Amino acid sequence: MELVSTLVTPDVVIRRDTPAGRTRVIGAIMSLMALFIFWVFALGATSKASSIITFNPLNTSGGAPWHLASLTLPSRVSALVLAIIALAAGIETIVRVPASRVMARFGFVSILFLLGLFVWTVRSSGPSPTNFIDITDVLVNASGITMVLIFGSMSGIMCERAGVVNIAIEGQFLGGAFIGAIVASSTNSFVLATFAGAAVGALLGWVLAFFAVRYRSDQVIVGVVLVTMIASLTNFLNLTFLTPFQQYNTGVTPSSIPIPLLDKIPIIGPLLFNQDMFFYMMYVLVAGMSFALFKTKWGLRVRAVGEHPQAAATVGIRVKGVRYFNVILGGAIGGIGGVAFIALHGQFNPGFTSGLGYIALAAVIFGRWRPSGAVVASIIFGLTSMLASGLQSFDVPVSSEILGMFPYIITIAVVSGLIGRVRAPAADGIPYKQD
Amino acid sequence: MLFMRLELKGITKRFGSFTANDAIDLVVEPGEIHCLLGENGAGKSTLMNVLFGLYSADAGEILINGESVHFATSGDAVRKGIGMVHQHFMLVPVFTVAENVVLGFEPTKSFNRVDYAAASDKIRKFSEEFGLEVDPDAIIEELPVGIQQRVEILKALSQEAELLILDEPTAVLTPQEIESLIKIMKDLAASGKSILFISHKLKEVKAVADKITVIRLGKVVGTGLPTDSEEELASKMVGRSVNLQVEKSPHNPGTPMLEVKNLVVRDERGVAVVNNISFSVCQGEILAVAGVQGNGQSELVEAIAGMRPVESGTITINGTRVDNASPRECLDAGLAHIPEDRQRDGLVLKLSVADNLVLNTPRAPQFAGRGTRKLSKVRENAEKLVQDFDIRTESVDAPVGSLSGGNQQKVIVARELSRNVDVLIAAQPTRGLDVGSIEYVHKQFIRERDSNKAVLLVSSELDEVFSLADRIAVMFQGGITGVVSPDSTREAIGLLMAGITEHTNV
Repeated sequence: MELVSTLVTPDVVIRRDTPAGRTRVIGAIMSLMALFIFWVFALGATSKASSIITFNPLNTSGGAPWHLASLTLPSRVSALVLAIIALAAGIETIVRVPASRVMARFGFVSILFLLGLFVWTVRSSGPSPTNFIDITDVLVNASGITMVLIFGSMSGIMCERAGVVNIAIEGQFLGGAFIGAIVASSTNSFVLATFAGAAVGALLGWVLAFFAVRYRSDQVIVGVVLVTMIASLTNFLNLTFLTPFQQYNTGVTPSSIPIPLLDKIPIIGPLLFNQDMFFYMMYVLVAGMSFALFKTKWGLRVRAVGEHPQAAATVGIRVKGVRYFNVILGGAIGGIGGVAFIALHGQFNPGFTSGLGYIALAAVIFGRWRPSGAVVASIIFGLTSMLASGLQSFDVPVSSEILGMFPYIITIAVVSGLIGRVRAPAADGIPYKQD
Repeated sequence: MLFMRLELKGITKRFGSFTANDAIDLVVEPGEIHCLLGENGAGKSTLMNVLFGLYSADAGEILINGESVHFATSGDAVRKGIGMVHQHFMLVPVFTVAENVVLGFEPTKSFNRVDYAAASDKIRKFSEEFGLEVDPDAIIEELPVGIQQRVEILKALSQEAELLILDEPTAVLTPQEIESLIKIMKDLAASGKSILFISHKLKEVKAVADKITVIRLGKVVGTGLPTDSEEELASKMVGRSVNLQVEKSPHNPGTPMLEVKNLVVRDERGVAVVNNISFSVCQGEILAVAGVQGNGQSELVEAIAGMRPVESGTITINGTRVDNASPRECLDAGLAHIPEDRQRDGLVLKLSVADNLVLNTPRAPQFAGRGTRKLSKVRENAEKLVQDFDIRTESVDAPVGSLSGGNQQKVIVARELSRNVDVLIAAQPTRGLDVGSIEYVHKQFIRERDSNKAVLLVSSELDEVFSLADRIAVMFQGGITGVVSPDSTREAIGLLMAGITEHTNV
């Protein structure tokens, strides 16, 4: 051994191999999307068809100091151009295998795909079109659902980064929405409703933490049970309380708060700066969480607890305390998401969140457990959900239920590692046992 | 900086009726490397967990520089200057070195932000002071095990540890990494740190210790000095005289049973890690494959056992071609395989001892009917093997994961040797085992050899290679640099392990 030890080989640092194959898969998917644009959107329109795209929402354009001219596009040629650009991007990705910004390229092609869809959706057979689509309208309509998804995914990230799977987001939505409707209807104050929703969400978070942390129950099962229980409970209370006493479910909604000047910017003004209080609260939440999780001492400890609780415990971090705190906080965020949903929707209806909490969970995964990623995922899912319901008014031969599957298909593709590499916090969902 | 003198007085820890530590006394002087020597299950880890605040003692006291202290949590122990390098590293794999080192003791700037610049500076300072070269920005999981261990040591030092506990630190290291660790420990001791080194490996203990305390069955059974002979230490540890020298009859090889010709095997990256290797193992001999770990030995074994595709070349077991055969076909051809990673490839930890003992014969008519298992026969078989191979288990129904490492390995050995086979291949069969178990496993191998089996032993422990082998093949970078007799010197084999091939003989 003595002699051998003198023949020391240099320490090798193992590098992760570049996922070239995966990049090519994404390139291939992009190319397929391009071909879809060509086959369906371009060839699906007659050569004479045209499409009108506008940028001014009907309700605000009157008072707006700006006016973007609407575009009248030849449907087939436009779709063809989109298809060519998308194909070029897809082939470039396959051939060059860029080391970074692969997902940016994919996002770009997705946008082209959406534009192609719009152009095709509103095509009119003659040269004097009757249909039009308003881009700003589309985005504003999608923004509400996106906002709720973002609240939900922040709730999920808060819990899962500490190692507890929060599958109960749906339940926190429903609970928050129920109490939010009552408080908002009776006090007319959405600030009070927010506090009430946060309290209910926190309570549900505590129940999850109590079983998951204290009794080390299976977190997924506890979460599913919570959702089922809250859904039934709100159904029951709706029937016995809200139906006879309709003054507690009046359907009030908060007013929009325009940010001076910024709200006048074309497209992004009405989209980002003329929204209700929950929308602005969401900005603060996302920025705050990104900062807190990745820059602060608190965030480092939370992530350590979610990755390797034993290691955290040996340096004196109270693993169970961190988990309790985060799950309760995450529950409160989910509850506020429910209030944001009632603010969007007006009246409480039993089960009306219809699985939004699970889509938020998908956004957590798609967004790789990062607030910024979850925002992008929520936007994609929000747009799809909106399209699923919004396209029905047009002549589209795709059922909204099929489109509604889209977020889940994407999630399966992501989780199976088809698009990019995702990795949950290592201790996510695993109960911590102290020695 | 205060040096630390640690004294344990009468530490007793019981789990129910079982006394894991019985009135243990121990003194570690400042700057001393104190080895705690004992077999697996002797109570070393329990004692360390008491000292690190993870368990509280039922009796006895801990004195630091003469002052009695009490630790309710490991945080308390850390604050008193005790640092622990765990056997399974307490590092977050996706964090950087800096993040891991400061975790729990983060320097902060405004808004509670972690001051990573300060953290990196601190790490560089400690790296230089103690000669522990580490890049603060490297991600833990991308670092080799030896470097990860350095990070663990750095972490303890940066928490101002004056006493370092190293719990079986060499179990996961390659020989070079062990040498490097020993140097680090000596440097640390020279700078005044006290070190408590837990091990059951006599060579390392002798190489590094200033003082040795031997414990057995929870009691201190003696002390020793590094100048004591291995036999002396081993018999104190095991409680009876131990024969470290394996006795075997003269080499009398029969016909070749395992033949490997021009074998090429690639790893996941496509590199030819086994590159054109040819050798044969005859009846009644042990061919040992020596070499520094990572020179293709693992892949060679996997290829023979049917667990890895063969690029080209042939493998023959008793006349049957088994290159690119399935593991089942290899077993049917007459192979017994003791895999390198026993917990991953050798056992199903949650299944019972009895089930694990028939894992390689699931469809054998004596254990299985048409679609059903003959559970009473499985049990009978298990009870017999537990008896024959001296497997220490509560019952044959206990999950095999609840057994000690040595007994887990005995389960595998019992299972593999209970079939009538022609060829036995074993990879690192005694890694992590205590002296008693090693002695036992070695005896079994000799017994197989003497009953005319062909044995291929892959080991990175040169002692093991020398004491068992009839011939030694040395691997370097996927090739065999030489086949030598066990009478060769360590120096000669060391040169072959480094790829220098002038001394080839036999």
